[in-house]
Amino acid sequence: MPFPILLLLLTGALLLQSTVLDYVAILGIKPDLVMLIVVLNGFLLGTREGAFLGYAAGMVEDLFAGSYIGLNALAKMAAGYLAGMAGLRLFRENTLVATGVAFFTTLAGSFINYLLLLYLKVEVLPFYAIVRVIIPVAVYTSLLTPLFFSRIFRFVKLKDREI
Amino acid sequence: MNWVTAKRLFLLMLLIAVTLWVMRLTIPDASEPTSLESSRLRDVLAPVQKGLTWLSRQAHFAVTLPVNAYRSAERTQNLEQEMTRLESQLTRMNEYILENQRLAELLACKQVMEEEHSLITASVIARDPNNWFATLTINRGSRDGVRENVTVLTPQGLVGRVVSVSPSNCEVLLISDPRSGVGSLVQETRTPGIVEGTVGSSGMARMIHIPKNEILTEGQAVITSGLGSVFPKGIPVGTLGSIRDEPTGLFQSAEVKPYANLDKLEEVLIILNTFSETGAAPEGG
Repeated sequence: MPFPILLLLLTGALLLQSTVLDYVAILGIKPDLVMLIVVLNGFLLGTREGAFLGYAAGMVEDLFAGSYIGLNALAKMAAGYLAGMAGLRLFRENTLVATGVAFFTTLAGSFINYLLLLYLKVEVLPFYAIVRVIIPVAVYTSLLTPLFFSRIFRFVKLKDREI
Repeated sequence: MNWVTAKRLFLLMLLIAVTLWVMRLTIPDASEPTSLESSRLRDVLAPVQKGLTWLSRQAHFAVTLPVNAYRSAERTQNLEQEMTRLESQLTRMNEYILENQRLAELLACKQVMEEEHSLITASVIARDPNNWFATLTINRGSRDGVRENVTVLTPQGLVGRVVSVSPSNCEVLLISDPRSGVGSLVQETRTPGIVEGTVGSSGMARMIHIPKNEILTEGQAVITSGLGSVFPKGIPVGTLGSIRDEPTGLFQSAEVKPYANLDKLEEVLIILNTFSETGAAPEGG
């Protein structure tokens, strides 16, 4: 996917996340759309692309927030890289596999986010971090995979054919 | 490991180290003004966010309309029964009117609070996209006289404080954010403690550093203590939930359910100034 289009998609996802998604939040948790786009692209395109896109997307998110610049960049870079690794080893054309990958990589990305918060001395109790954020976000985000995966998959395949 | 791999690994390490360093540098500091770039970016995105929030409210209304209509029919039936019962109570209510007059005098005390503060209203236009933190963007900024550290509340209770301001909007750190700390006390027992956020998405807070010898019960009201010079004294914060001992053994802590519904905020009040007895307006409310 061309980088400007991806950046536009990510900005759109970020805007949705700060406004519309509040209305579909379950128990206060909203899905991490940016993470989902990153891991699905990483899964389909590979480790390097996943990590790069994760870093760029996270950086946009951090610049949007205006503080802790790099927090989301590193967490999403790791998630994108892990998704890329999964893509090299697993069957990439199955939505169910992609959903599982989205779950585990979002879980890992959120956990790294938590560790970085500790590094930044933002104290969150492990119970709240795991039970109220990390697991619910991973579940909610991965459940949205079927909505996005086929579209991204088709786009990537189309691009391959053009090449 | 060949030369190319080593070089790539080195560059990756360098990138991570630089990012960690930048992260440290960009830890928000209340004593420093908001960066111009950040506030400009927020100003540019604010109209889009405002539009999307409006659209979401309309969509939410449309989607929930059939359910609401069904509930309305059920409610109408219940209300008709309720009306019959209430008519018989009307006579008794006349007695309450007299009682009400006496209570009105007590209420005048409460209205003193409004005389002590200068307030403006604001609408929520965006929320933190992250699930970890709990911040809001509201449509009032330095043009309206909003400054950093001023108190934000609803008629139900405390919401948080302003942490960064741009000309047309500002960012509010909610009391459920893990970076938030509010000097508080239990209203009934005057037990002091600090109400800190747990994690943004939970909408809950907890009161820590409560002396262990204090006997507290669930449901007791928590108010701001006025210590720390950020929040004015006496603003309702929430009610105590489950109480447990802290691992150190010296203190106990309790969950706090905020009075204000932090997940569903639409309009809030900002305390611009608090007038002291001498009439001066100290900073930050």
